[in-house]
Amino acid sequence: MTDAPEPYVSKIDRRTALAWVGVVGAATAVGAGVVVYGPKMGGARITRGYGTDPKLTKPEKAPWSRIMIQAQLQTAAILADHILPASGAAPSASSLGVPDFIDEWVSAPYPDQVKDRPVILNGLNALSAKVLKASAADRAAALAALPASKDPTTHAFWKKFRRLTIGAYYTTGAGFKDVGYIGNVPRTSDPGPSAEVKAVLERELAKLGL
Amino acid sequence: MATESYDAIIVGSGAGGGMSAYHLTRSGLKVLMLEAGRSYDPRVETPMFNTNAEAPLRGVGTPDKPFGFYDATVDGGWQVPNEPYTVAEGSEPFTWWRPRMLGGRTNHWGRIALRFGPLDFKPRSRDGLGYDWPITYDDVAPWYDKTEKLIGVSGAAPPRNLLNTPDSPAGCLMEAAPPRAFEIFYERAFRAMGIPVIPMHGAVVTGQMEGRNTCLFATPCGRGCAIGANFQSTTVLLPPAMATGNLTIRTDALVYQVDLDKGGKAKGVSFVDRKTGEHHSVTARSVVLAAGSGETARILLNSKSSKFPDGLCNTHGMVGRYLMDSVGLGVTGQFPALEGLPPTNDDGQGTQHTYIPWWGYQKQKELGFPRGYHIEIGGGRRMPSMGMASLLADDEVSVGDELRAKLRNRFGSTIGFDGRGEMIPNDDCYCELDPTVKDKWGIPVLRFHWRWGESETNQAAHMVKTFLEVIDRLGGKPEPHVETDGRKAISKGGEMIHEIGTARMGHDDTDSVVNQFGQSWAVPNLFIMDGATMVSSPDKNPTLSILALAWRSADNLVTIAKQGAL
Repeated sequence: MTDAPEPYVSKIDRRTALAWVGVVGAATAVGAGVVVYGPKMGGARITRGYGTDPKLTKPEKAPWSRIMIQAQLQTAAILADHILPASGAAPSASSLGVPDFIDEWVSAPYPDQVKDRPVILNGLNALSAKVLKASAADRAAALAALPASKDPTTHAFWKKFRRLTIGAYYTTGAGFKDVGYIGNVPRTSDPGPSAEVKAVLERELAKLGL
Repeated sequence: MATESYDAIIVGSGAGGGMSAYHLTRSGLKVLMLEAGRSYDPRVETPMFNTNAEAPLRGVGTPDKPFGFYDATVDGGWQVPNEPYTVAEGSEPFTWWRPRMLGGRTNHWGRIALRFGPLDFKPRSRDGLGYDWPITYDDVAPWYDKTEKLIGVSGAAPPRNLLNTPDSPAGCLMEAAPPRAFEIFYERAFRAMGIPVIPMHGAVVTGQMEGRNTCLFATPCGRGCAIGANFQSTTVLLPPAMATGNLTIRTDALVYQVDLDKGGKAKGVSFVDRKTGEHHSVTARSVVLAAGSGETARILLNSKSSKFPDGLCNTHGMVGRYLMDSVGLGVTGQFPALEGLPPTNDDGQGTQHTYIPWWGYQKQKELGFPRGYHIEIGGGRRMPSMGMASLLADDEVSVGDELRAKLRNRFGSTIGFDGRGEMIPNDDCYCELDPTVKDKWGIPVLRFHWRWGESETNQAAHMVKTFLEVIDRLGGKPEPHVETDGRKAISKGGEMIHEIGTARMGHDDTDSVVNQFGQSWAVPNLFIMDGATMVSSPDKNPTLSILALAWRSADNLVTIAKQGAL
């Protein structure tokens, strides 16, 4: 019996993992979809973007090297699952690879992401000490304290991390299901809203005097 | 290519170039089209149905792809590699969207296809401001009819006879998809304010149309359309032009100069191959510039000779002048009344299904600004993006099931109101050649000058006021920090990507560059068939008018060619 949550295992595919091994150096690909991170040991970091004419129909994985270390990734998994744990049919954030996405985001060479990088990484570093080897009670307390923090750095980290987690989660098929997005399917016509939807609308409009 | 004999060289392959090529080739003329960008085929390159999760960074915009990863734009956006432009010191900001691909901006455009109205062609006669066109609505109306029938436009409705908002004749339009929940919802607020809401005219095939596929009512038009159900030059104009056997297309050909013969007529153009850096000259019996208002002006200004030391057709300093854009701004609101609606497929037809044409033509004095704007409104349960967390206020701390429930409840409850308004041309808005900056191939680049007038900033303030009133009537909450000062809220010059008017049409060569058919006054076999010829910038998005005018001008060119007068 342990207090520690299951360690996060990256959800990236084996091809990408192997490509990263060449770059990150100390990361070890141990099987399909499983990467164990270690501290970086040399190797040239790729910092280029995807360019102005990337292939759109089958997008390639973002080319830049990932910079998050294992402790940051594990902390990201704990926080992402605090924000969106599994619930009923809806999977947890970490099972959808949200920590990998956070890594992709903070590692990206573009201005918005470069700006977010220290906010996220410093926040994860500060949080990791309080959650990685803590008791369940201490970990829960540390996570619960985040949003209420009066420290502007911590608050900025919380807001940004939550924003990224929610965005990463709800842009997946599981996210679509959870939030009730039923589009992106070909149709022969657009019938417009159902009678049920229209009835609800009319009730609401009546309340507004419209 | 060198051995062919061409009746016309067309520079550019977007709305103006594509339509010119369509009509010239189908009328039997041999045409060489030069496109600065790469070849592009929407049938195999469009990311139909891709989700954001499949894209790097979940598809958000970056400097490489400013409108998002899946936006159709190739090698471009606000900056094009190797092809800079500058903004003059002391100018207000100006920004210039360019793609480098066959079909140009028709691949990603908003597909809003509104006709200019009768007042739009004679604005000076109405209020003494700006300039009148040398043509009337009635001159263009038959070409609007033909264009709508060719490209496929939705929005059919019984005639409404609204002032300056033309009804298309029966048979021109297809029916728009029915209003979605948010469109039914906002219509009531406008109705209560006495403002009509009508079907949007969208360049989307919503019904049966011979030779075309019908919209799948899914996946955004801005990515392009692999089945050709919306209008793109690359799916609607260029394939039939190619089928005539009269069209040759050369891509990666960046035209920088119109070449003249000894008699002062155009004999062809010079271009640089973007890939090899090699310079080439090609010849034809006529030249059609349709490179986009900025690039068309740049080619003219760079075409210097002893007869035209300040640039071709620029003896009276008219080239680059009267540069215009649309006034634009948006305000978003969140509406508790729309929370918790049963899940509905709101993907729709790509464009808005309804919109609000300008309603204040008879109230301009009391409004305090001339001219007006229409409103484009977006909302509904659209495919989630990285902006999903905007449904939560910063101080909302919920996590877990409470967070899931909040997002589920509020999904689809926001509506964005965007104004697009008329700009009156002024002396402070123009482009010229930068005296020092050159592109990668040594060709002088454009330098822009910009200053919004009071007519535009007052109009922008009115947009904000209107949107806030509508949001309030609907019981909504506007986004935090709405800017109400029109001077600060207004878009940047060029930001609406409606830049037009750098080589306007007119009655004679002292006040214009071309005649009503885009034929230049200075060089009789040189034609301009893009937005550069426009005299005013009505609130209506310019693409449909660029297409209609290009068709009308190309038809005149055919007549001249058949008379042997090229």
